[in-house]
Amino acid sequence: MEILVLLKQVPATESLIAIANDRVSIKPDGLKYVMNPYDELAVEEALRIRESQGGTVTILSVGPAKAAEAIRTGLAMGADKGILIDPGNLTCDGLATAKLLAAAIKPMTYDIIIAGHRAVDDDNFQVATALAELLGIPNISMVVKQTLADGKIRCLCTVEGGTKEVEATLPALIATQRGLNDPRYASLPGIMKAKKKPLETRSIADLGLDAAGLQPLVTIKALKMPVERKGGRVIEGDSVAVKVAALVKALHEEAKVI
Amino acid sequence: MAGKFVSMRNLKFLMYEVFDLVALTKAPYYSQHNQKGFDMVLDASMKLAQKMLYPLFEEMDRKAPYLEDGQVKVHPQVRAIMKEFGQGGWIGASFPEAWDGQQLPGLLHCACQLIKSSANYSAGVYPGLTSGAARLINLFASDELKATYLPNMMDGKWQGTMALTEPQAGSSLGDLATTAFPTDQGYYLLKGQKVFISAGDHDGVDNVVHMLIGRIDGAPQGVRGISLFLVPKKRPDGKGKLISNDVTVSQVFHKMGYRGAPITELSFGDKDDCRGFLVGEAGRGLMHMFQMMNEARIGVGLGAAAIASAAYYAALDYCQTRPQGRKMGAKDMNTPQVPIIEHADVRRMLLFQRAVVEGSEGLLMQCSRYEDMLNIAPKEEHARYELLLDLLTPMAKSYPSEMGILATSQAIQCLGGYGYCEDFPVEQHFRDSRIHPIHEGTTGIQGMDLLGRKVMMKDGQAFILFLEEARKDVAAARAVAGVAPLAEQLEAALKTLEEVTAQLAGLIGKKGVEIFLADATLYLEMFGTIAIAWQWLLQATAARKALDNGPKPADMNFYQGKMITARYFFAYELPKIKGLVQRLTDGDPLTVEMESSYFSD
Ligand SMILES: Cc1cc2nc3c(=O)[nH]c(=O)nc-3n(C[C@H](O)[C@H](O)[C@H](O)COP(=O)(O)OP(=O)(O)OC[C@H]3O[C@@H](n4cnc5c(N)ncnc54)[C@H](O)[C@@H]3O)c2cc1C
Repeated sequence: MEILVLLKQVPATESLIAIANDRVSIKPDGLKYVMNPYDELAVEEALRIRESQGGTVTILSVGPAKAAEAIRTGLAMGADKGILIDPGNLTCDGLATAKLLAAAIKPMTYDIIIAGHRAVDDDNFQVATALAELLGIPNISMVVKQTLADGKIRCLCTVEGGTKEVEATLPALIATQRGLNDPRYASLPGIMKAKKKPLETRSIADLGLDAAGLQPLVTIKALKMPVERKGGRVIEGDSVAVKVAALVKALHEEAKVI
Repeated sequence: MAGKFVSMRNLKFLMYEVFDLVALTKAPYYSQHNQKGFDMVLDASMKLAQKMLYPLFEEMDRKAPYLEDGQVKVHPQVRAIMKEFGQGGWIGASFPEAWDGQQLPGLLHCACQLIKSSANYSAGVYPGLTSGAARLINLFASDELKATYLPNMMDGKWQGTMALTEPQAGSSLGDLATTAFPTDQGYYLLKGQKVFISAGDHDGVDNVVHMLIGRIDGAPQGVRGISLFLVPKKRPDGKGKLISNDVTVSQVFHKMGYRGAPITELSFGDKDDCRGFLVGEAGRGLMHMFQMMNEARIGVGLGAAAIASAAYYAALDYCQTRPQGRKMGAKDMNTPQVPIIEHADVRRMLLFQRAVVEGSEGLLMQCSRYEDMLNIAPKEEHARYELLLDLLTPMAKSYPSEMGILATSQAIQCLGGYGYCEDFPVEQHFRDSRIHPIHEGTTGIQGMDLLGRKVMMKDGQAFILFLEEARKDVAAARAVAGVAPLAEQLEAALKTLEEVTAQLAGLIGKKGVEIFLADATLYLEMFGTIAIAWQWLLQATAARKALDNGPKPADMNFYQGKMITARYFFAYELPKIKGLVQRLTDGDPLTVEMESSYFSD
């Protein structure tokens, strides 16, 4: 089983984010970068498939040289090799990222591609779907369970609090959802081995593409911080009944949730 | 950030900027490593600490171990923790590759331990003890014992312990009575009782391997008659099964803190069927045990510093968010209250905690650095590092342990009444830290070890080496504008240390050993404070240089805070040795003169 994992390095969610002076990017200063949490699920699932079926796990990531750290973390978890696609100065939107990945993947043999359903930095949910489209393979998203048999993959996916069961023929792309698995920790022997595992870097030119064809269709115009949460409100009243009545009224009329 | 228990920035500062961890990779022994790999190891430690250990910090305290049907029950996650530490390679992290270890530099290992112990001290004890026991087996046991016991210990399936203490033999191990009766079967039959044995039994593992000291029947009295044994809870029956080895748990203690790990009383050989295997040479058991005692004692200091770190970050978080009172002179009650961190006295409390935590971490890493030198320096230099380590160990154990209690107490103080309640973690940190001046040799024993042995041994060679090292750093600091005044202060303290030590040494001949050692604990306190001042000078020098080189904007606050904390230590803590110096040199042996019978009321 040839398994490809798509992975992105993102700022850790606990980092304090500040908007840069250009108002369309965030300040890189003092940020800690980690593997996108949904991609951790993807690496873990890939390793489990390899453990039960044999094969190799190859990680692909689009990002700057620094993103190699996240690939190495995946290699330390147990993946076999990594490919970093460095787009240089180009700012990629979801489609451009997918095009880069597609160009790298087309000449490869693969049975299954596993991605996170989104990256927690841009939150744009597009790369996996666009890539499947470019490769012309089935795409199943929000996967919480998968089984492989007879050249097919059967998945449980979350829908509105429930699940649906779907099936596709391999090769296919699946995108992870929380609950799929519990990713393993990188081990010390894994880290030692990861340093020696192959990790190649490719440029846009290496992939036979040029920047002109990768210009973003979507550009960010402004970033805004979420509104600060206001303090809570204590509902006063002489008895529980009075307080409950006031609470229900507030939920109905002000918050409009009931 | 909520839930911060340690500063990765500070650990990296110490490792990379003060102790030059990367330089170690030039030596063949560490050449397989590089900084990228070190960072990955640190990240992996942090992840384990945040995801696996920290979430159990409170729960393991509230659901303490208990004894049921002769078996100690611990938190169900202990099994998962042991498994992860085994499979993750953490149990053998600092072991040489020849022992199936990861051969990580001690310096890096020290940082990893600080991360994990600050997340959850009790949880780290289980694998830590297993690692210590495995080290003894690797060093001294026969190949057969190694093959039988090490694989499961390294995998985290079997627990290791250090079984020294007996009811009548705590500080005075020479009085221990557990007896080993020789047989002609290649094993001994053990009989005796051990008390306070950490992780001495529990259901988070499939077996327990005690590294036990006892006396071969007929051996001489005192420490010369002590031998080291491997005594399993269950022994392999030769047919692939484990059978009982006649070790019983008679009680599990209910403790003040550090409740996530069981402390047990054990009985060996009630049915005359407890087999023990001699490890190393007969009669050299305590010597063998002492091979890892430095490490174990430094480990205690590390645990203490780690707990103080967690308490400090909990207090800091609170002080930044708790509004109370207004700035001096603000009279308008309509202005909002300020966060308490705006009050000078609260900052003083925070500075005290930070000074204790980061100063202790510095001394611990300094010790690790010397340990690493033993792996890479030419043979003829080993004596130097061994002597320095011997001398610094009682301080690396006791300073964090004693000061950690005061630091965690100040953390409670920062939270006021809330700090005294279980809703916040600081009261647990305070309780957890109280063990450290007791186990692995009380502070009193460390004081006598420092003054009576370490300072005096080999005509004071270790002491001389320490002065040499500290003065080398004083000389370097004098050349750095901004830290030179601190260097002068340390130099003055070193001079005082020499004078006090010379005067005390003179007492041995004149007044006898009892008076010489009567205040050894205070000598330890004085020396420890000076050793931490030395560490703060090193840190200030590195921070000043970084500031002078124009640091990244994100690092500015870190270095500025570092400089002021260093100044705090020299302004508030180092002067405290003056009172100690006066006491140590005034020649009045009043504790010796105070007869026991005078304590009548
Ligand atoms: C939570 C916990 C975990 C422990 N874990 C282990 C373990 O895993 N393995 C193990 O073997 N032991 C363990 N111990 C035991 C611990 O090492 C001993 O408690 C410690 O060495 C002190 O011995 P003691 O309790 O008998 O006190 P004592 O030796 O009775 O000491 C009482 C006091 O007298 C002082 N004192 C004693 N002798 C002298 C002297 N000659 N001169 C001056 N002052 C003296 C001491 O400093 C101390 O203040 C543990 C203890 C605890 C509480």
